[in-house]
Amino acid sequence: MNDMSGMQIPFRQKCIVTLWPSFMIAIVATGLFFSAFDPSELYPYNLDIEINVVGAYTLGFFIFWALSAISSAITLYFAITNCRKIHADQSSHSPS
Amino acid sequence: MNTADPKIQQSLYARHEKIYPRQAHGRFARLRVLSILVLLGIFYGTPLLRWDGHQAVLFDLPARKFYIFGLTLWPQDFVYLAGLLIVAALSLFFFTALAGRIWCGYACPQTVWTEAYIWIERKIEGTRSQQMKRDKAAWSWDKFRVKAIKQTLWLVFSLWTGFTFVGFFTPINELAASFIGFNLGPWETFWIFFYGFATYGNAGWMREQVCEYMCPYARFQSAMFDNDTLIVAYDDMRGEPRGPRKRSVDKSAAGLGDCVDCTLCYQVCPTGIDIRDGLQYECIACSACIDACDEVMDKLGYDRGLIRYTTENAIQNKPSKILRPRIVIYAIILAIATITVFYDLSQRVALDLDVIRDRNQLYRETNEGLIENVYTLKILNMDDNPHAFILSVEGITDLELFTDVDNIYVNAGTVSELIVRLRADEANLSAQSASVSFRLQAQDANHLIVEEEARFLGPRK
Repeated sequence: MNDMSGMQIPFRQKCIVTLWPSFMIAIVATGLFFSAFDPSELYPYNLDIEINVVGAYTLGFFIFWALSAISSAITLYFAITNCRKIHADQSSHSPS
Repeated sequence: MNTADPKIQQSLYARHEKIYPRQAHGRFARLRVLSILVLLGIFYGTPLLRWDGHQAVLFDLPARKFYIFGLTLWPQDFVYLAGLLIVAALSLFFFTALAGRIWCGYACPQTVWTEAYIWIERKIEGTRSQQMKRDKAAWSWDKFRVKAIKQTLWLVFSLWTGFTFVGFFTPINELAASFIGFNLGPWETFWIFFYGFATYGNAGWMREQVCEYMCPYARFQSAMFDNDTLIVAYDDMRGEPRGPRKRSVDKSAAGLGDCVDCTLCYQVCPTGIDIRDGLQYECIACSACIDACDEVMDKLGYDRGLIRYTTENAIQNKPSKILRPRIVIYAIILAIATITVFYDLSQRVALDLDVIRDRNQLYRETNEGLIENVYTLKILNMDDNPHAFILSVEGITDLELFTDVDNIYVNAGTVSELIVRLRADEANLSAQSASVSFRLQAQDANHLIVEEEARFLGPRK
């Protein structure tokens, strides 16, 4: 029952659960963000960058994807390490 | 699942055995092919349609305008798109409760493209058994040739898919011209390859794993299910005990059910499950097993429908109901959302007015002793025609309006800024701050009218 060795999630699965949900959220976030803000009015700090509108959307999408992926990765990390801790506590208290 | 043996976890997630679905023939297979052809036709055909001199459906990202046939949506209209998405999600819930996973089996892009890729694979590599034999065999010139042809066709099809996808966002004529001339922009190139690669990976390689590991809908669809939901199921009361038999054998005398254990239902399954094990979340209700089983039943002279579209209740010989609280509630919510979105869309005014108060000065006293406020008006004409507008204001007695132009004229699809001065007698101001209402009306179109509230500030009372 307390065998948590199944928590050894394979690397490929870790990649999927990190990158895939954040990909979907990035699509939503990009849509919401750029319907509210026009990229041409948005270049921050008077940066002189040569980028067209589609390029700005692309960049925005990848920034959102990266941010949500970081969030997913931290969630995954917390979930795994927390389960391992619970597992360690339980196995030290209850002889199985 | 969390407590599963690591070996099982490994086989679930890491080691994956390729599934070679056998081709199914029958009425549901034909229905599926029809559905797939129609949907692929819509995807590849829509960007080629023209409407009123522009691409009929174009989500023009550079220009920040969405053209959907006669309708032009602006970023301000995002709410309608959100509304349409909500309607789509509610429809999915409704149809899931009613008919189970028909979305998965017939309409999901993952299914549609996977079937297209499997079709190519079958054309080049042959039947299920030919494919399995070749994959087991050592590399040979013939194997290399067959694989290379298949991969090339897959890649070309993927690129065409990516190209069409980008054609929804960039005018497809210009895109085709620059594609032929080898001068595509870097971002367009990137997205063609990105989307093409995703299609290639998902439909060529990942296939049912997308449904099993990546699809959120596959995980939560069972929440919409009840015992009256349409499912693809094996009638084990009729089928068991299963076993092979000669056609001449009387099955009841031999103590056998209708299932001859030919495993064709398993062989045709695109997700590689055995439907006879009961309802499984891997099942995308594609009904290939129904066709396969019906064919066998026909050959044996048994009744069709050992595997069939049915409900949990029907399988247990209980009556099935179509009208039930769940269906009624989903239907009402869906109807309300649909009517709201389309009513709002029909009432949409292709004109927008923003009023921004001058921030430098709260108010000014003119030489005549009147209180003056200054505003910047942003007029967005979202209509397809240019218009001249009449501006009026009300809210304070004898309120005067001054603009620095004689005619307010805004071209089609453009924004125009206008400085406006309002003057009022202090005697008519009952408080320090009063509400005024601007009203903008197109001279030649009665339906183009908007009102916008603003504050008029005076001295402290």
